This record gives sequence, C-alpha cells and structure tokens, in this order.
Amino acid sequence: MKVELYNHIVRNGLTRRTMLKGAASTAALAAMGGAVPALADGHSALRAAIMKIPGVGMGSPGDAEWQKVGEMCLGPVKDRVKPGEFKGVELTFMGLNNQNLHNFLFRGFLKPWEAYTGAKINWIDLAQADYNPRLQQSIATKTVDFDIIEMGAPFEGDTAGQGLLNEMPDWVKDQIDYDDLVGYLQPPVGTWDGKAYRINIDGDCHTFCYRTDYFGSGSITGRANPPKTWQEVNQISKDVVGKTDPLTGLPAHGFLDPLKGWGGFGMYFLTDRAGPYVKHPDDPAFLFDIDTMKPRINNPGWVQAIQDVMDLIKIDGAYPADQINADPGTTGFQQFLAGTGSMLTWWGDIGSNARTNDSSVIGDVVGFSMIPGSDKVYNSKKGAWENNYNEAPNNAYLGWGVYVTNRVEGDSKKRKAAWSAAAHIGGKDISLWTSAYPSGFQPYRNSHFVYDEWEAAGYDRAFIEDYLGSNLDTYNHPNSLNEPRIPGIFQYYSVAEDELAKGFAGQYSSAQETADAIAAAWEKITDSIGRESQIKLYKASMGL
Amino acid sequence: MPDQISLGRRNFGRFIIWGSAIFLILTVLLQSLDQTNFLTFGFENWRPTLYAYLLWAFCLCLGQVILYGEQGKRRLFILPAVLFVISVVIFPLIFALGIAFSSWNLSSPDGRQFNGLANVYQMWADPFYWNALKNMIYYTLAILVEYVIAFGLALLLNTQIKARKFFRVAFLMPLMLSPVAVSWMIGKSMLEARFGPISRLARELGWENPSFFGSHEMARSVIMMMDAWTFIPLMMIMILAGLQAIPKEMHEAADVDGAPPWKKFWEITFPLMLPVSITAILIRIIFKLKLADIIINVTSGGPGGATDSVTSFIFREYRDRSNVGYGTFLAIFYLIIIVILMTILIKIADKWMKPRY
Repeated sequence: MKVELYNHIVRNGLTRRTMLKGAASTAALAAMGGAVPALADGHSALRAAIMKIPGVGMGSPGDAEWQKVGEMCLGPVKDRVKPGEFKGVELTFMGLNNQNLHNFLFRGFLKPWEAYTGAKINWIDLAQADYNPRLQQSIATKTVDFDIIEMGAPFEGDTAGQGLLNEMPDWVKDQIDYDDLVGYLQPPVGTWDGKAYRINIDGDCHTFCYRTDYFGSGSITGRANPPKTWQEVNQISKDVVGKTDPLTGLPAHGFLDPLKGWGGFGMYFLTDRAGPYVKHPDDPAFLFDIDTMKPRINNPGWVQAIQDVMDLIKIDGAYPADQINADPGTTGFQQFLAGTGSMLTWWGDIGSNARTNDSSVIGDVVGFSMIPGSDKVYNSKKGAWENNYNEAPNNAYLGWGVYVTNRVEGDSKKRKAAWSAAAHIGGKDISLWTSAYPSGFQPYRNSHFVYDEWEAAGYDRAFIEDYLGSNLDTYNHPNSLNEPRIPGIFQYYSVAEDELAKGFAGQYSSAQETADAIAAAWEKITDSIGRESQIKLYKASMGL
Repeated sequence: MPDQISLGRRNFGRFIIWGSAIFLILTVLLQSLDQTNFLTFGFENWRPTLYAYLLWAFCLCLGQVILYGEQGKRRLFILPAVLFVISVVIFPLIFALGIAFSSWNLSSPDGRQFNGLANVYQMWADPFYWNALKNMIYYTLAILVEYVIAFGLALLLNTQIKARKFFRVAFLMPLMLSPVAVSWMIGKSMLEARFGPISRLARELGWENPSFFGSHEMARSVIMMMDAWTFIPLMMIMILAGLQAIPKEMHEAADVDGAPPWKKFWEITFPLMLPVSITAILIRIIFKLKLADIIINVTSGGPGGATDSVTSFIFREYRDRSNVGYGTFLAIFYLIIIVILMTILIKIADKWMKPRY
C-alpha cells in the first residue's frame, strides 16, 4: 500500500476502538468454529495473522515487522527447500531504495529466508533516477552483476528480449500461485516468447480524478455527473473559463494536461487522452504497427488527442498560467491537490495524497473513476473512424516485478536459491501484507480484492472498497492499454516529449505536423536500435 | 657532467623498457584478437592491458634512471605526470572519438557499430541541436550585461561604504550556492506561478497572471538572470581584486589635474582593469558554455526549446535516450567549437590585455 494512504487510514479512518472491535469480532468468529469471514484461500489463518502485524493503527511497520512477516510466510519455501540447502550460495539483488522501502522491505522479508536456507544476499540499492542508466549500462557493457532484479515490465524488452533473464521454473509458479493476477498482468506481460520471467509484486494504472464540487445541481459546470468521454472533458474545460472555483475562489479550470516533459513519463498522460481514440478493441497495438514498427503516433487518432490539447492551449484561461511549464508533478501535486483545476489523470498517489497530504485542500471534494472513453475510435487497420463509444484505460508502467538473471544458469543450486528468494518476496500471502501496509506497492492479485480480509484486519469497509474498487475496473478492463515492452521504450517517450513541447509552444503549425515530427524521430530510434530486432521483440512481447 | 653509465647497466635499462613495451604490445594484440573473436584466450576484461601499461610506465620511469643516471632522475619530475595525462585525457579522448563516429544506442542488441559520418549528417539536420547552439549565443551575450553589473558592484565595494566587509561576504553568497539549490529555491518555488512569493508580488503590482517561464523570451531571460545571480559574484570578486591593485597615486595625480570622476574612470580605471576584465569574461564564458543544471531542473529546455542549452540537450540524448554514439559526437563537436572560439577570443583579447599606459 502507498505510505500516504496508510497514514490517512490510520489518522482519519480508524480508531483503536474500531480496530479492536474488528479484531475482537474476528476472534469471536474464529471461536465459533473457525468461521472466519470468507477469505481468499486455505491460508486464511495465516493471512489473518499477518494482517495484524503490527496491526492497523499501531504505527508504521519497520524492519522487525518485515522480518516477522517474512518468517511467518516461510511455509511455501520450507515445503520446497531443506534447511541449509543453499549454504555457500551468494546472490546479488539490485533494486530501489525509494522512500526507504523496496530493497529495505525485501531485506527484512529475506532475512529469515537467509537464516533458513543458509544463502547470503548482497544488495545494490539505487535511487529511482539512477535506475535506468545503471540498468542500460550494465546491459550494454555486458556487466550484469546482479542475480535478482526488481524491475518494471517496460524494461522486459531490454532484458528478456536480449536473453538476459532466466526462465521461471514450474515449481515457482506453484509456490506463488502464478495465475492469481488481475487481468492486465496476465501473460503476455511478464512473459517473452511464451516463457514466464516475472514474479509480480505491484500493480499500476492511471485513474481519473475529479472535483465533485464541479458537478451536481447548482455546480459551475451545470452537469449532474463527471464526464464519460474526452469530448465532454474538453467541453467542460471550455465551459468553466471565466468562472470561479467553488472551493478556492480563484479562477476555475477544467482538465490539467501536463504540457512539459517528465523524463519520458509525461507521455503516459497524452496516452491517457489518446487511448480511447486509438486503441481499437480488435487490435492489440496502439503505438506501432506490429509487422513494421511504423509509428501510429501520427494517425488521426493520436493527432486528435494532440489537437484536443492544442485546442485548450488556444483558449485563454482554459489552463492555469504557466501551464506550458507544468510537468505531471506540477499538475498533480502543485495544482490539483492545491485546488487548481478540476480534472486530472494520475497514478494512485493522487488519490491517497488527496486525503492525507497536508497541503491538499480537496480531500472532501475528490472523486475517482476510470479514465474517460471516447464517442469515436480510429480503426488503424481499416484506416477509418468508427462512431461508437470506446474505453481504453491506461495501465501506465505496468508495475514492479522481480526477475532472475541468467547469471544463475549452469549452477542449479544458485538458480534454485535465486528463484526461491524471488518467490518468497512475491508470495501470495506476503503480497497481501504489502498491499495492506506501507510498502510502495499496490494490490495486483485477484485475491487482494477480498474485502472481508481487510475488514477483518480492522479496515473501514467503505473506504477500502472505494480505494480498491477504483483500480479493479481498470486492471480487468478488456481493452486496457498495455504499453509495448520493447527495448528503449522510454527513448521513444523522451523524444516524443521534446517534439510535443515544440508543438504545444506553437513551433509546429499543427497537431499533424507535431505528430509527424514525433513519428520521424521514432523511426530514427527504431533504426538505431534495429528495426528487425524491434519487430521480433515487439511480437514476442505481445505474445504473438 | 653526465654520469658514467656502464654498458651492462645501459643494456639492462634498454631491456626493461623495450621488454615491457613488447609485453604491452603483445597483451593489447592478444586482447584485441580475443575481443574480435579471432582467437579465444578467455579474457574477461581489459585489466591485463591496464596492468601491462602500468608495468611499461613503471619500467619506462625506472629505465630513465638506469640509462641516464642523475639526468634520468630529473626526467622523473615530469614523466609520471605526462604518462598520467596520457592515461586520463588522451586515451579517453581517442576512445571518445571512436564512439563519436559510431551508432551506439544502449538498447540496441548489436552494441556499438561504426557508422562513418552518419552522426555528422544527423547533427546537421537536427533542429534541436542548432536551436541549443543559438540559445548559447544569447546566453553568452548576456555575459556583457553581467560584466557591467559585476564591475558596478566591484566599484561600489571598493569605495569606503559602511559595512563593506559584510556586503563583500553577502554578495559572494550566491556563488557558494549549488545551481541545483538555486533552481529549486528560486525557479521552482519563488517563481512558481500560483504560490511563489514573487508571483504574488507581481499580482499585487497588477500583473494578472504572472508567468515567468511561459513565453520564449521571458523564460530565457529568467534563466539568464538566475545564472547571472549565481555567477556575477565570481566576476565581481576578480574585478574587485584588480581594482585594489591599482596604485592610488594614479587617481591622486588625476585629482591634482582636476579630472572629473567619469574621466578618471574612463581614462585610468577601465584601461588598467582591461586585463582582469578580459580574464574574468573568458572564465565566465567557459562557465556559461557548460550551463545545464538550472535549465534541466527548471524548464527541461522548454518552452519549446527556448531555454535549451547544448549541455542540457546532450544530457537528454544520453540519459533519457541512451544514445551514446550521437551524444558523444555532439559533445566532441561542441568541444571543438569551444576550443576554436576560445583561441580566437584569446588572440583578439591579447592586444586588449596590454594596458594603454
């Protein structure tokens, strides 16, 4: 769970009394014959027990709690590994140190594992900003010096695509209950050429955040409900120009597009807009033609999305001042949370910060839904628009996973040790705990959405249903956007941001010209990485 | 008088120098064959070559003493430094030239591939690079304004004003701040369009929607100002040191002749300060050509490339796009431009460096 969200629940949503009430009722039900509320599976007692470490409302967990949870969840490891079986094995784990979580959390979880198996783990901790260069340099200079890596799925093209990863053994799939995943994380994500490589530990998606006080009777938009399509979003943005924000008394604004790049991550936000225009339900691709890697970024669907943004730029007052310099961090944290603007797409952080961040003023007037759809969709294969409603929510970045590199190949003991360690931190029960407590990771298994488990642990049911439900629709949407896991995907995003910045600043004469410039730059990147290889890897990533 | 060196000692000296050199050449050859898969020796890295180079360097130094005695010892004062410079400057530059004429995208499974002049053609047609170079001209021209301000401040601090020592320290403070801190404190906080105190003040003064990075000219000017605020103290302190070195007698003589203040400045102070001024400006130009951190943090080169510097553009090519070959070529080309430009500037400045008195 995101740290901020947990803090909020503890601060506002739960008193010690309600927590004890929840715990007492669980105990009472158990005393009546093991009738614990409908839990996810046979590990119900264990799951209920770990959900009480340290207990909701009992302070943020630290290393002692992480080790305890790691120890309690060792069962599946013990079923497959003898005590001391990996004595003498040394593994290197490369991951992040964001918010003092990630690797710090893994260290705690794996300490009991090390004590039981006899293996030793060395750690490479990286700041988020250093992660991509470090990984790319390791790959390019053939100096991969880690056996286990925490990695986002977009990098699977750079690693699995270049044969750097080790295939997941079947016993690991059994141990982690591999199939227990929300829709979008099911294969082909995590697989390459039909082989599985990824142990999921996280989920990711963009959702639509809106101000509830802009909608309803007497509201400044005059609309009963938030928008369902991007056409409505743009119309609202135009309609509120010149009006006053009901909360802050400052000028009202509609949707907050980040017009400045963000190291490639800004591209996800244009993709939010473009998704319903360009992701046809009959076609898995939306960025490139699968057979040729020809960019689709300059097809009418993408151009429409860019045009929508340009239309708003032209209207004085549609965006806050200086929007040309607003990156997603600005739109999310400095604008939306501070009461500027009424609509936004973002990851889960905004939802949790809206009610927990001290500088947020919108805690009581914020609502969430899936990203809007469109009343038309471009069929790239037919080369024509189709006038029917289409939804395509964006699973931006696809979430973190744990992978084993092929450094372990040829050493069966080391390989088993690496996969055992990875499976331990990606285990089914341990993942429930990481979903429920501050960890930096979001729920990602179907079994995480059994609300009774959360309620039994002491969580407020209404809040947790709201929180979990907002992601579930996107995760399982049949037409959601899963970005191509091809090498250098962030290079494409980065150069697109540069060209978009020029387009938004009026240096290109039209949205089409802007899109054409991006397409030309993308063609160059594809050629520099290798077109044939990209096509092959693109197909592999799509499971074709 | 040269030392008397025996033939045996001479031969030994020659043997260790040439022996270690042959060993180095052989190691490089074997490693190259291994690297290009002509023969397989199982080298895991280039450390054997490094060790062979260190051995040769040691033998070369030792050989000087053995061969030339006292004269050789004198050579040891300079030879290790020369070898060190060759190791950390010349070799990397040669490797960088190799990379500059390659296609090397870190995501490419093919690795580094020699691509001739392709990077030159790409640069020639790259509007982002030329735009960044054009911006560098604006940024560099701004140094003239910075110089005038720095000179003014230095003159002020050279007079008998109250709290002179305090102001000298206070004016130096911005130079001590990291440009990254300046970016966040001023660019991202004080100038923030909605909450920044400067924006609030601007609203109070009647600017309805203050936007410091919204238009091209405004954004570029504000970046120039932030950079100037950081580095004017550097020029100021150099000019101040120069002012304090002017003999008082010159001004006293002018006073006796009844010269007005402006004439004193224009005929005495300014000409005498020319050498220092030129040095300060040249150093400032070198600093300015490396401008990147403030831009990367505040505008990322925007809006629409209006504030992009060559270094911030190369940073994006390298870091965000892993485009090592093209990025290196751009950096090398920029280096060549800087070297040529600075050489011309120094030549032109040479005649100005000589005071008229």
